[in-house]
Amino acid sequence: MNLALLSAPYDEDGFRSCSVTGLKLHRSAERPVKLFVITAVVAMVLGGIAALLVALTRWEAVGLLPAADFYKWLSVHAWSLLIFWMVFMEIAILYVGGPMVLGRKLPAPKLAWTGWSLMVGSAGLILYAVWVSSPPNYQPLLTSYAPLESHPLFYLGAILFILGAVVAALPFFTSIWQEKVENPDRSLPLVTFGAFMTSIIALEALLGGLITYVPTFLWRIGALESIDASWYRQMYWTIGHGTQQINLVAMITVWYFMTYVAGGAEVISEKVSRSAFILYVFFINLGAAHHILADPVVSSGWRMWNCSYATYGAVLASLIHAFSIPAGLEVGRRRKGLGDGWFGWLKSAPWSDPGFSATTFSIILFGFMGGITGVLMGQMQLNTLRHNTFAVPGHFHGTVAVGTTLAFMGFAFYGIKLLFRRDWVAKWMAKAQPFFYAGAMGIVVLAMMDIGIIYGVPRRHPSVMDLPGTAFDFSASAPLFGVMGVTAVLAVLAGAAFVIVAVGSLLFGEETRPSEMLPDYSGLETVGTSAHLTSMRGTAALTAFLLFVLGLFYAVDWMWLARLWEFGA
Amino acid sequence: MSSPIRSPDGNWWDNPLASTEKKWLGASIITAVILFGWMFGWMHIGDQNPTGRTYTTSSAQYRKQVAAYKEKATRTEQGLRPAGRDVYIAGLQFGFDGLPVVLEAGREYRVHLGSYDVQHGFSVRDEDDLIQQFNLQMLPGYEWVVPMTFDDPGTYRVVCNEFCGLGHSGMQGKFVVVEGGS
Repeated sequence: MNLALLSAPYDEDGFRSCSVTGLKLHRSAERPVKLFVITAVVAMVLGGIAALLVALTRWEAVGLLPAADFYKWLSVHAWSLLIFWMVFMEIAILYVGGPMVLGRKLPAPKLAWTGWSLMVGSAGLILYAVWVSSPPNYQPLLTSYAPLESHPLFYLGAILFILGAVVAALPFFTSIWQEKVENPDRSLPLVTFGAFMTSIIALEALLGGLITYVPTFLWRIGALESIDASWYRQMYWTIGHGTQQINLVAMITVWYFMTYVAGGAEVISEKVSRSAFILYVFFINLGAAHHILADPVVSSGWRMWNCSYATYGAVLASLIHAFSIPAGLEVGRRRKGLGDGWFGWLKSAPWSDPGFSATTFSIILFGFMGGITGVLMGQMQLNTLRHNTFAVPGHFHGTVAVGTTLAFMGFAFYGIKLLFRRDWVAKWMAKAQPFFYAGAMGIVVLAMMDIGIIYGVPRRHPSVMDLPGTAFDFSASAPLFGVMGVTAVLAVLAGAAFVIVAVGSLLFGEETRPSEMLPDYSGLETVGTSAHLTSMRGTAALTAFLLFVLGLFYAVDWMWLARLWEFGA
Repeated sequence: MSSPIRSPDGNWWDNPLASTEKKWLGASIITAVILFGWMFGWMHIGDQNPTGRTYTTSSAQYRKQVAAYKEKATRTEQGLRPAGRDVYIAGLQFGFDGLPVVLEAGREYRVHLGSYDVQHGFSVRDEDDLIQQFNLQMLPGYEWVVPMTFDDPGTYRVVCNEFCGLGHSGMQGKFVVVEGGS
């Protein structure tokens, strides 16, 4: 057994240089990154177990859990995967994107350990509160919509987790500060810039979280007399969606990093890519307003403003990345002589490298599933077709479960080699895992969306095939639930395959020799014309197809809506 | 070549853009304008909008309003027949006060949505054609008046689709829509 965590390849100053990326890594940054990644994987295992139980309950042919247990495991599933798996990974990404890419030490490393301890402790508190909740303490699920009461320790845990994440982010901010003081005229590398923008969005979201949870906690322990349901919803979504925007921007940063390392991509325009990140900072959190499009209280003008101009600032940014990332790959590979014609650059790509295949599937599935449905749901009227139906978890499994999770899996596959310097065990499993996971989870997402939009099946519901007190039920949707159930089990198995490779490699993987580690593009000579004159026709075709599919579903959705009876003033 | 993990050299801001990328930027901006224009335009030309006046209220106050409305309504075997064009519905753990209600097809009603306790969902569908459905939120402390006109007679099922407690899955009701003038 190799104790990969304990090996010490560093020089006297604590630095080592990475043979693949050429980066100078300091142990003060590398060690906390390992810790945060491992913690994230532990959270993923818990969330994955919960996913299996939740899926086997909603697949009512199995109907595993009774209502009370279902809501308990649904809460564990939501918090473990949407929050813990993601946020621990994101802190690791900040440390990689900041100090590591800049070749610096991690400033104030004690803060990283303090933040980690606070986050782990409060995550435990949240899970404990979920575990012991019984009426009048209701399961929080993700949203803990007041005035339905959750366990007081749950709100306290949420507050402490937010504080922990802020503390853990401080060393990152300090490293950016130090870099700019020492090198005021040097631009940050794009990945660092993306990580920096991620952290600004994160701070906005976390601040919103404190504004939400502190008064809610005071209300829950009786220090405040009442809480306004509409206020809660509006405030909650600053963090509720804000955290998911962090996932998005962190994922895009990982896309730039991974397409470069695993695929030989270039940045085709620093100006355009950076401007797109800045658009996110200004607009993406306002887009959280799409959660209250089917609400009373907020005016239609407010809703349409926030979900149009404000959101389109962010949608525009996403469309820019949707082009510039594949185009960077296309140009990078064409100029290295790796493929010609329309799609030769994709055909020649290293598909058997799980770092590359996971990243590519993440980009494609995020765009076509999460992205398109997100735009549709962001239209005020179309939102009423989907609000709180099963199509909503369908959408965010399209963004988070296939998009972000696959990107982070690819990133973790590389982390095993680059940071832990271990070879993957069970290589066949590592190679197959992204295909297996993307395929199974992709079908889960399609089934969830269809169940929601075609049958109007509600989300957060343990038994729609048999509604108490009425002969009416949703049994027409049973076949699609069957599809979802079977593929969800397969997706959980694919998730388990990832954990087996990751944990197995850390424990039993052989130490890698730099020469045989990963694709190395540095030896290839760049040929042909300069980047902006290189053909991007493959990307143009793919992105045009994305817009076409968006247009198609947009038209179909509005026709559906128009067939409904009249409502609204 | 430009790498995402190295500081870009020189004045990168002035580096030329690829013509394909410029075209994509244009297409993206046009897409955003169309999305906005259509959503805004539907407020004027469309018949399905999640809009209506909101009034501040309290659970006690709303209970009184619903009770007064039910007092005036006629009880039938199929459900309440409202006396006028106002229809009151309240979500509560775990049911809908005011449902079932009997409405006439083709007549516009002012549907008042509110809650006696926690947040609830108002999810309505045609029993015989499940794809014909839409969803609104019901909040305690607020009364939302959404005009509604059912075109065709039939049974329209309502389920709560916001988690409201352990009995959530049993929270349902219905609109019975009959021919106008019957």
